Parts: sequence; C-alpha cells; structure tokens
Amino acid sequence: MDINLISAQIKEDLDKASSLNDLEALRLKYLGRKGVIAELTGAIPSVAPEERGVFGKAVNALKQQLISSLEAKQASFAAVNTQPLETVETDLGMPGIAQDLGHRHPITGIIDEVCGIFSRMGFRVLEGPQIETEHNNFTGLNIPLEHPSRDAFDTFYLQDHQKLLLRSHTSPMQVRAMGKNKPPLAIVVPGRVYRPDAVDASHLFMFHQIEGLLVDEGVTFADLKGVLEVFVKAVFGQGISMRFRPHFFPFTEPSAEVDISCIICKGKGCSVCGRKGWLEILGSGMVHPNVFRQVGYDPKRFTGFAFGMGVERIAMLKYGINDIRLFFENDLRFLKQF
Amino acid sequence: MKVTYNWLKDFVDIRISPEALADKLTLAGLEVVSLDKAADDFVFEIEITSNRPDWLSIYGVAREVASITGKKLRQRPSLALSGSKAEGTLKIQIADKKDCFYYCAKVIRGVSVNPSLAKISKRLELVGARPVNNIVDLTNYLLFETGQPMHAFDLDKLSLDEGIIIRRARGDEKIVTLDGIERKLDKDILVISDRLRPVAIAGVIGGKDTEVTDKTKNILLETAVFDPVLVRRMRKKLGLQSEAAYRFERGVDLSASKNVSLRCASLIAETACGKIAISKEAGKTNPSAKSIPLAVSAISRTLGVEIPAAKCKSILVSLGFTVQNKNGCLQVKVPGFRQDVKADVDLVEEIARIYGFGKIPSSLAKISPQAIVCDWRDKVSLLKEMLLGLGLNEAITYSLIDRDSLQKFGISVEPVAIRNPLSKEQEVLRPTVLPSLLRVVAVNLNQKQNQIGFFEIAEIFRSNERQDPVEEPVLAIALCGERSLLLEQGAIKDAFSMLHIKGILETVFSRLGIKGACFAAASTGEEDFIIQVSGQELGRVLSPAAVTLEAFQIKNRKVFLAQLDLAKLFALADKNKKFVPAPKYPGVTRDISFIVKDNISVSRIIEAISGLGQPLINARIVDYYRGKQIPKGFRALTVSCIYRLDDRTLTEEEVTPVQEKAVKLLVDGFGAKLR
Repeated sequence: MDINLISAQIKEDLDKASSLNDLEALRLKYLGRKGVIAELTGAIPSVAPEERGVFGKAVNALKQQLISSLEAKQASFAAVNTQPLETVETDLGMPGIAQDLGHRHPITGIIDEVCGIFSRMGFRVLEGPQIETEHNNFTGLNIPLEHPSRDAFDTFYLQDHQKLLLRSHTSPMQVRAMGKNKPPLAIVVPGRVYRPDAVDASHLFMFHQIEGLLVDEGVTFADLKGVLEVFVKAVFGQGISMRFRPHFFPFTEPSAEVDISCIICKGKGCSVCGRKGWLEILGSGMVHPNVFRQVGYDPKRFTGFAFGMGVERIAMLKYGINDIRLFFENDLRFLKQF
Repeated sequence: MKVTYNWLKDFVDIRISPEALADKLTLAGLEVVSLDKAADDFVFEIEITSNRPDWLSIYGVAREVASITGKKLRQRPSLALSGSKAEGTLKIQIADKKDCFYYCAKVIRGVSVNPSLAKISKRLELVGARPVNNIVDLTNYLLFETGQPMHAFDLDKLSLDEGIIIRRARGDEKIVTLDGIERKLDKDILVISDRLRPVAIAGVIGGKDTEVTDKTKNILLETAVFDPVLVRRMRKKLGLQSEAAYRFERGVDLSASKNVSLRCASLIAETACGKIAISKEAGKTNPSAKSIPLAVSAISRTLGVEIPAAKCKSILVSLGFTVQNKNGCLQVKVPGFRQDVKADVDLVEEIARIYGFGKIPSSLAKISPQAIVCDWRDKVSLLKEMLLGLGLNEAITYSLIDRDSLQKFGISVEPVAIRNPLSKEQEVLRPTVLPSLLRVVAVNLNQKQNQIGFFEIAEIFRSNERQDPVEEPVLAIALCGERSLLLEQGAIKDAFSMLHIKGILETVFSRLGIKGACFAAASTGEEDFIIQVSGQELGRVLSPAAVTLEAFQIKNRKVFLAQLDLAKLFALADKNKKFVPAPKYPGVTRDISFIVKDNISVSRIIEAISGLGQPLINARIVDYYRGKQIPKGFRALTVSCIYRLDDRTLTEEEVTPVQEKAVKLLVDGFGAKLR
C-alpha cells in the first residue's frame, strides 16, 4: 500500500467530486468503518517495527489532510448552495395569506370579559335554566306576587304550565345556588332573560344579564363597593368615577344602583347620559334576610351582597352602539367589528 | 312624580339651589330625572321606587328634603271639626272590611262651583294635572300634597236613602266613568254605590253622571283607603291607570286620612262658600304602630362602617321615627306613613341612605377559594374557540319564534307555547335553532354577503308529556356561499358543500378526542344525514330543499346546516388522553392514483384497502378530481398508503407486494383504472 499513491487517488477523487453526495461517497470510501484509512491503520501492526513509526505518522497525516480537504470542499459547495434559486423580490404590499378567523358575538365578548374579572376575584361562573318557577323568579326573592314591585318584571308565562315562566332576570339563580350549596358562596351567572316589552331601539323581549352573589360571614356593604369598583375600573378604565345611589329592589336591603361617569362626555352632560353626566350600569345591594330565610340560611350569621347588570347595556356603552336590535340581527357587517 | 320647588317650600325652609337640591335628592334615593324652570318656580320630576308611597306627595318629599338639608319639617295644620255638629244623618255600609279599610263621607252644602284660585290651578298644572273647578281641584291639590286620594260627588245625583254602600259589583252592572267610557263590571270590581247603581269604581275612577259640574250645589266628599292588592287587580283588569289607583296600590297612610279629609272639607267650605253639614266615617284610622329594636352593632355588621348611635338616632328622628336609645339598642317606633319599614334592615337602609352611600368606605371582600374542575362553560368556551378558528362567526338569535317559521322548516312537533306573547314572533320557544340561522343567512344574503358561515350555541326547548318542558343546549351551524382564498398561485373560490360542514365537525371531534363518528343517510331526504357515534345519534347534517329555503327568502342558493346535542357531544369527549410515543422507525408512503365510477363509495374503498393490514397502517384520500380529463360518471382519486413496522425499518421488498395487492384490489374489486 503506497501512501503516496493513495494520496494521489484522493486528490483526483476530490477534484472529480461535484456535489455533497459525491463528498459523502468519498467520506465513506476513505473514512468509513471499512474505508481505506481504516485499512491502512489496521495494517500498522504488520509493518516492520523500525518503519512502523514513520508509517503510522504518514497514515495519520493523510487522514487529517483528507478530513480538512473534505471540509473545505463541503464548505465551498455550501457557499454555492446558499445562493437563492430565483431572485424574485417579495412584494409585501400584496395581501398576506392566512386562514380567516370567525368573529365572537360582542355579547359573548362582554360576558366572557365580565365573568373573567369576577372569576379572577374568586367567583365561580354558573348558568341556570331559562324556564323558571314562579317561586324562584319572584316569591323566593321576596317579590310578592301582587305588589307594584312586580311591575318592573313583566313576565312571559308558559301555556299549559300554571307556575312556569321564562325568567325575567338572572336572580332566580341566587335561590337555586343557595338552595344547593352552603355558604360561603361566590358566584356570577350570565344568561338570557325575557320580558314582554314592546321592541324599540332600547327594549327587546330577550336580552342578557349577569348576576353576582357573595354570601359569607362578615360580608358588608363596604365589600360590595370595593368589589364593584374593581369590576367597573377593569371594564371602563381606571379613570372612571362611580357612585352608589339608594334604590329599591325587593331582594336586597339596602339596595343601590351604580352609576359611572358618562364615558361619552366625561361627566359634563350629553345626550347619551341625558345631561346628567352619569350612566346607570347596574343594580346591587345587601341580600335581604327574607331571601336567606327562604333558602334556610341564618341571617344572623351570614350576610351577603348581590348585583345584576344588563349585558347589552354595557356593550352599547362600551362600543357606542345606539340600537339594541343590532345584536340579534347578526349582520356580518356588524359582527365583524368585534 | 312631579314636585315644585315653591310647593316644597311651604313645608321646609330650603336654602340651597334647585340644582343642588336635585343632586341631594338623587343621592338619597329620590332620583331626579329632570329639573325644569317654569315661570317663577322649578319642577322636579322624580322617579319614586314602588316601596315608598309616602314619597308620592309633596309633604313626603318635603320630609326627605328636611332630613337631607338638616332643616325642620313644618307640621301640617291639625284640624277639628268646627262650628255646629253635623246635622243630618248618613249611613256608610262597607260590605267587606278587607276591601275597604276606611271610608269617610262629608256632605258640604251650598257650594258655588267656580274656577280655582290662580295659585292652586298653577301648581296643579306644574305637576301635570288639568284644573277643572274649585271643588275637584282642591281634592286633587290635597292628593298631590298629602298622597291621600279623594273624590267629590254631586250629592243631588245620589240616592242616599240607604246610605253609601261599598260593595263588589254584580255581573250585570255597568258604569260610565269620568273619561266617558262605559265599563262592564263584575264581582272582582269594588264599587261605591247608592241605592240604585254604582257611582264610582273604588279607588280608581269616579262615575260620569255624579261628577261635580258648574251647576252642583251640594257635594259628598269621599276620603277612603282601599285594599292595595284589590286596587291593583282592578286597575289591571280595567286597563286603567289613575293618580288615585297608583297611590292606593302602593299603600295610603291610614293614620292621616281623617285629618286630610277634614282639611279638604274645610278648604272647600272656605273657598266655595259651603257648609260642612254631615261628617261620617267607618272603618279604622289608626293601625297599630310597629316598634322595632335595632342593635347598633347590626348597622356596622351590614354596612362595614361604624356610625355613632347618636347619629343613627338623629337620622331616624329626622325621617319621622320615634327613637329611644337603650344602651346600644335603638327602640324605633315606626310612623303610619312608613308601612314599608318592617324589620331592622329597613332601618339600616334609612340610616345608610341619609348618612350617604358615598361616605361608606370600600373594602375588598375576602372570598374563600372554591375547588372547581373544568365545568360546562369551559367546554363551551373551548368549542367556541375552535369554531371561530375554523372561520365561523358567532350568531345569537331569539329563543322565541313564530309557529309559521317552524312549519316552513317542516317541524310538526308541538313546541312549548307562551301564554302571553305580545306578537307572533314570541309565540313559542324554539325546538330547533336551525330556522333562526336560516333567517340570519337570508339577512346576510340580502346584504350581498357571499361568504356566510355561522354557529350558535343555545338552548332548544321540548314539551315533555305531562312533565315540565325540557331545555337542551345545542350547537348549530349554517354555511352558505363560498370561501375565497387568495394564495400565491392566485384566487381560489371554494364553494361551501356538505363536506365543509363535515370537515368542521371532524375537526371538532378530533380535538375533543371523539372517535368513530359516521354520517348515515337519514330516511327523510337526500341531503339529510344522521351523525352517529358508537350507535348514538349526536345530531343532524342537512341541506334543506329549495322550497324550504324559498320560504325563508333564500333563492337559488344551497345552505348547509348542522345541529348537535351538546350534552352528548361533551359526554363523548375523551377525558383520559394517554401519550403514545412517536414511531421509532420511518414509514414508507406510496400513492395510488386511479379513476373509478362515481357511484362507488369512497369509504368502501378505504375500508377494503385498510383491511390489508400489517405493514399497512393507514390509507386515506389525498386528492380527487372530476373534470375535463375524466370521463363522465367517473372520478379520479389518489389514495395514499402508509406502511410502517414498530420494530425495524421496512425494506422496499416488504412494501411492494402489499402495495401490489392494494392495486389489484382496486382494479378487481372496484373496477378502478390506474392513471
């Protein structure tokens, strides 16, 4: 085995190699497990002892040279290959290519946002049936059946079912949730509600509400204020001011309506807020002891607060929508804005 | 309700501007919805909550003004019947004391009916009442001032030989009321009657033929208190609202009625030059006064702020309560005009209201953590995210629908009906979401939209024999038109088809880990399929017939619909996902392209090839084509076969014979021609 002969052969082979595949073949031929270099190395013991040192060094030198030559050649091929195949410049003025996403209904968007805020405070999100009993919708909430306080809750009743109705608010879930669970209880309940209202730009016979309820030992009106402040600022921004105005709801005592400073005129007075500078956004209050008694909670031990808001109203204020009917037409030109 | 600035000033010394007063009232729970200047006065329109009948009077609002401005409320004059004793006699017969708590009749003789004094008629106009004459106007004036409704009859038109009778009407009776309308009466209606006929509907409206006119000489003045629930029922039944009924329904202060009656009679006697001849009453005037103990600790327990007992006491006193402070417990006597105050919480509210909600600090509630596993809403959210990602838009449509639409859609089951719909659109609760979505499609086609893809997640409603109706959540999908994709190689129009709905559902199934869903033809129509998973019906996929679509104003279009039972869908979802390691050895992929008759089912082809088994692990359609180069009645398909072994790399020699078997199967079994 003449090392010089082999060296010459290597040089010739390298010159002939024109692709990375050729180089790989060469590598196998010379450096592979049964390659030429391995053969040479394997022959070292059979060389006469006085020549063994020189031969060994020569084999090693050949191997090192081969490795560096292969690397150099490989690098030169790679350099050639990084050249672009075609030199067409991309025009980024062209429309991008992607799958279209659908649009979430703005009502869902608001419900998810509001429930998210309360979830993060530790409230659990529940849903309840839309067909309700007269008890859950009224009497369980301290609303006597023949009392003017019921005028605010005109209600659809079911044919053939004396005591069944379409819930006129999400509050019946208070009765259901308390009936099923012992305190402490912290829930928010989004859902559809129904009232036989004549349809116009601000009234519909179906809309959405979100109810909230917290019951525990030591819950106070101050807690109600604090929790609702967190909520209002999260939805309408830190700069918003708010006020709690005494009101009447049969199932809370004391009761308060919550106003925020008008987001259109910043409280100066405009047509949206009826020149008052304030917008009413929700009703709230401390749970009435009679409601607790109905579900078997001890009003001496537990206190709680509840609140309820109209989802469409919040969406209308937040997005500047002036007609509630738009939400249910499902015109794509409307929906695609959300 | 309307009140005027000057009228309030009759009872309380107001030192602040009308605007400032409006703000204070609003923040005390009397929401001032408008404040208008009128000549030399200001008119406040206040929204009075239904629990506060005492605020339905100038005097009641003045009491509130006194409390929130720290002034004293002037007492109304307390009168005693002066002059000669009532000379004549008059019988009052109350048939049922439960209907009428109190009735007072005063006969005033020799009145001259004239227009009212300017001050009276002006104030009446400002609060929205039409001046009539000095008699009627005075009853109205005192109604607004005190909240006690009153009525004046022309005495000479009454036949009182059996006295005045307060009774339920008989079914055959009628009355023409002050508004000139003849109304049929029945036993649900309480009337004021003389010997001959009903002369007024109690607490609601008077009768036309006994009203006070210019010619009236003698009058009978009625001051009464009727059962609130009864008045409410009558008002609803008659479809009639009046200032009187509005107040009776909410509760009139019995303890003040007697004095108001006396004042009204005296004023009439004075201004119309009459003489009080008879004064008779029946029923009770002094309901037992409630006394409620209020622990000062209960106040801070509810409000979260310490308000000194002395402050609480002074607030309650300013509102007309009588309070005794007995070491940390206030003993509170409730005045007659506050029938709404029943328990200590009601007193806490009064204290909070006047103290000011704004002065109560805010704190963050401590909320006990609740252990909640992934619940229904989380699943729905995940599903919505998937569908939005697949390009569908979310619709929300009404749960109520008209019977007509259901019929047009071919639904024959009896839906859950509404007893009191306002319009046809609210007749029934929908048993399916699909007609609603068809309407959404029509609306958008009308707007020249051509890429219409919607889903809605909502409840549907089913009658359930003699039990309560059932509501079930469903997922509904509608597709119409086409997708337009702008790719590197140019625009591609991709017309929606049944396969698009199938693709959406398959993606959802796959993400939820639902295996083995199949679409079986339903017996009802050509393009109607039942979605089945392990023998269970999950829902339907269909394309309605052209006539159905035309009934929904959709012409020359195809619409593809699906509706799935959500509870079943989520129940089938795989909750126990297990990791399967990626294959260790590479697979080999071989495609077969061939032409086959249209009527040969692709699923049968795939099933047959898959039957070859090891080392074939998967066979699926990766391309298909129908068009110019393919003879009519045929289609071109490409099946991709993947071969793989778990324990070593497959060799060419192992794959080829199986692949040849697959080809032979296609040619011999399905008459396929290789391309």
